[in-house]
Amino acid sequence: MSQYSVSALAYFKILFHAAKHPHSSVNGVLLGKVERSGKINIIDAIPLLHHWTSLSPMMEIGLDLAGQHAQSAGLDLVGYYQACERIDDTSLAPVGEKIAENLRDGFKNAIALVIDGEKLGSGDVALVPYLPQGTVWRPCSGETTAFSTGSNFQLTSPDLPRRALAYVSEGRHESFGDFDDHLEDVTIDWLRNIACIPSDI
Amino acid sequence: MSLASALDKLATFRTNNTRASQETFKNASVIMKTARKLGDDGWAVLEQLLLASVDIGRLDVADQCLRQLSDRFPDSPRVDVLTGIRMEATEPPDVVLQYYEQLLDADSANAAVWKRKISVLRRIGKIEKAVEELSQLLDTFYNDVDGWLELADIYTTCNQYTQALQALSHALLLAPQNPFYVLQFAETAYTAGDLPLALKTFLVFVDMWERDLDSPKGKPPVGVAVRAWMGIKLCSRRLMLSSSPSVSNTPVPKTLNLIEELATERVLAAYSSKGTASRGKAAEGKDVVISWIGAR
Repeated sequence: MSQYSVSALAYFKILFHAAKHPHSSVNGVLLGKVERSGKINIIDAIPLLHHWTSLSPMMEIGLDLAGQHAQSAGLDLVGYYQACERIDDTSLAPVGEKIAENLRDGFKNAIALVIDGEKLGSGDVALVPYLPQGTVWRPCSGETTAFSTGSNFQLTSPDLPRRALAYVSEGRHESFGDFDDHLEDVTIDWLRNIACIPSDI
Repeated sequence: MSLASALDKLATFRTNNTRASQETFKNASVIMKTARKLGDDGWAVLEQLLLASVDIGRLDVADQCLRQLSDRFPDSPRVDVLTGIRMEATEPPDVVLQYYEQLLDADSANAAVWKRKISVLRRIGKIEKAVEELSQLLDTFYNDVDGWLELADIYTTCNQYTQALQALSHALLLAPQNPFYVLQFAETAYTAGDLPLALKTFLVFVDMWERDLDSPKGKPPVGVAVRAWMGIKLCSRRLMLSSSPSVSNTPVPKTLNLIEELATERVLAAYSSKGTASRGKAAEGKDVVISWIGAR
């Protein structure tokens, strides 16, 4: 099984997106690169929707645009992320499964990350990784808990959840914009979100 | 933050049904500290503060609000609903459902309680039961636009797009002046695979959106119109590539090429410097949009 590592940039963006819209489901894509060792580095994330996450036209366009942006940055679309509407819900199906499955056509080791709302405030890693088993996507349940020592899923630094939490309590996520926001105001920087990103990463 | 501005803000949130719980909590707390007697507005603010507190997990404040409201309005059906919402935050679903059942036994016409019950059913995954109850509710209270939207949302998340379109068309009949329901209908039609219907509905949206603007044709599209023009571009391009069946028997416009050309022009205009002049900034991600527009 492949190993995956989530960067500070990707982790912060995913959490900012979820924190900005606590009552809605949100989703987006993961950008990354495969190391020579086969390890998949998730380097960046692009936030897509928060209005109608089950409807496809803007998702299709957003995926297209994000894919081009990734390409020009020398990255691949390596996965999908979502947060559900309810805090205790960490399921991927059915929409997320469909999108993640489509991403596999372009990148065979595509991964899906679902935000674990219960852990958002705790300082633990608030992500549940999903990988396909046959045609069904399942939460990864290996011998080791995801993101613990020895797991195939790692953060680039163990202090990311704590830092993300601190940034959210400062209100850094408030100016975060996704593709839905951009479609109402095209000056919103949904591809990079430079204004929200801490200067040291 | 002055008292007047806080009151103003809260009144706007109430009118627009805005769920900005953090901000509501901040503003309402200011008011509750400084002003003891606000008259009738005070009770509305108290209700608002209660809901915001439940939302952000400040159950201590929520309980205080609830106590004051039930002291002032004993036996009020509206306070009954608030009590239920507060229970939902900590009690197991079956206890809350039982509470709602009791209220409905006493007064089956309490739509607010009925809707809470449906939302709990949906939350615990009893989707079929939720749909059944919601359909019954809409039989009784046909004018409930939010109910129709909720029904459409449930169907959409279950991939039942035809039923979702049916539910949305009731919302459109009841609130024909709201362009956002039209937009939602267009995007649902696209998701259902009915491209001609989606195209037509996106165009209806643009028509409604631009109706109130002065000479919209000479100006770049602004706001959510950009979204609709991108939808028009997407639909017309796909229809030009291959014909697509329409379950609703919506004909494909004969001027499809012209519509596609217009959509290209409109999207590019929105990303031009003239298009974003009023924002005082340049459009972001223009290069990827341009290559998307030109692609295929």
